[in-house]
Amino acid sequence: MDFEALWLTLRLAASTTAILMLVGLPLAWWIASGRGVGRAMAQAAVALPLVLPPTVLGFYLLIVMGPLTAPGRLLIRLAGHPLAFSFGGLLIGSALYSLPFAVQPLVAGFEAVDRGYIEAAAGLGAAPARVFFSVVLPMARASLLTSAVLAFTHTVGEFGVVLMLGGNIPGATRTLSISLYDLVEEGSYAAANRTALALVGFSMIALVVIYLLPSTRRSDGRQADVVR
Amino acid sequence: MEGRPTLSDRLLPGSVLPDSLLEVRLKHRVGGVSLDVAFCLTQPWTVLFGPSGSGKTTVLRAIAGFVRPDEARITCGPKGEILVDMQEGIFVPPHLRPVRSAAQTARLFPNMTVEQNVAYGVQWGSHPEDEQQVLQEVMEKMRLTTLARRKVDGLSGGERQRVSVARAVAAAIAYGGAGKPLLLLDEPFAGLDSVLRDELVVLLRDWLRQWKVPVLSVSHDAGECFLLDAQVIRIAEGQVVDQGPVEQVLAEERRRMLERLRMGR
Repeated sequence: MDFEALWLTLRLAASTTAILMLVGLPLAWWIASGRGVGRAMAQAAVALPLVLPPTVLGFYLLIVMGPLTAPGRLLIRLAGHPLAFSFGGLLIGSALYSLPFAVQPLVAGFEAVDRGYIEAAAGLGAAPARVFFSVVLPMARASLLTSAVLAFTHTVGEFGVVLMLGGNIPGATRTLSISLYDLVEEGSYAAANRTALALVGFSMIALVVIYLLPSTRRSDGRQADVVR
Repeated sequence: MEGRPTLSDRLLPGSVLPDSLLEVRLKHRVGGVSLDVAFCLTQPWTVLFGPSGSGKTTVLRAIAGFVRPDEARITCGPKGEILVDMQEGIFVPPHLRPVRSAAQTARLFPNMTVEQNVAYGVQWGSHPEDEQQVLQEVMEKMRLTTLARRKVDGLSGGERQRVSVARAVAAAIAYGGAGKPLLLLDEPFAGLDSVLRDELVVLLRDWLRQWKVPVLSVSHDAGECFLLDAQVIRIAEGQVVDQGPVEQVLAEERRRMLERLRMGR
């Protein structure tokens, strides 16, 4: 097995998860407590990577990050090198592509928190930030864990965006899924099988962890749709 | 606790509350009720009295800031600090109002123990010893001391209710702002057995009076209003129909209660 690719995959997944937790928490809270057209637009934008072929996202990111557009040229000047075909570019692509997997469980978890608890805390003088961290987040912690595990595993499993955006540079952009593709192309089926098995095993473990988590229940007793 | 002045020693002298604690003018349509009320709080304990569905809870929630009324002006304190003026577009968010509240349904934070719940709204950051003492006293008075370290999910309905009220009372006494906040309690003694209820009513009344924490509560129990010796605002179908001392406003209820007692004999 390509251990360099394994190490890169794990680094990419961990960094993507970290970024998504930072961005996803406020975004999910805003979606869960918002209403109207703004909320619908945000939800649609977040869910877009679920329905688009990853190649579409990869293509546009390639354009935006490349020297053909003004934002691309700015990014190149800021980073000192083109982001496409680098780990940094891959990270941005992964984060966007896994965004729905991080945000949607959080939104479901936040929506399952009865508004009465938020009012109870505010009625005791707690400011919104304190209400969020001391009451809402602990009550939605199962969703938080689900969100992190899904973001991580989905990043491990992505292929199209990586291929479009990163190419196949060992140590910089060649992840396990790309390495598997290469192995099959070369006809090394035994090595491909080991890599594939590693990915299957990993995903299985992650899913078992999610289903072992205490379920998030709504106050009306219905199960919240954590994975939807 | 020896050597330290008790908190009661630190209470301000005199027992007079400001002339006007709260002025409310409120119009709001909710469900089938169209609420149109105006009243002024002047007494240490006032009860909104009326049948269920008459709009009492909505009034309380509007004062706390959880309802955006259609039309309203709510001011509090002697200086008439504006909490809500829908015409002027003023709507102070709940946590910034000089108000502490407990809803009718006890929403206890499930990730905390009983004691942590009660301590949640305590704000005297610079006086940890006083905080501790207030907490202890609240826990004792509300008969919660033995439950202090329990998680809240195993509590009975009556216990949950007591924790919810204790939490609001502690937050009102250990209020971080200037003066004392108005304490809003929605059916605070519902679900308690009558002996314990009568005890707690008298205890809380005297204790909160000592701390100069004014209270506006909701009830449909005339006996409770008499025990509280409260000012009563009677509400029916979204309108204030009477306001005054309990003996006056609930004279009819009192006559009926006595009648029932006599008949039972």
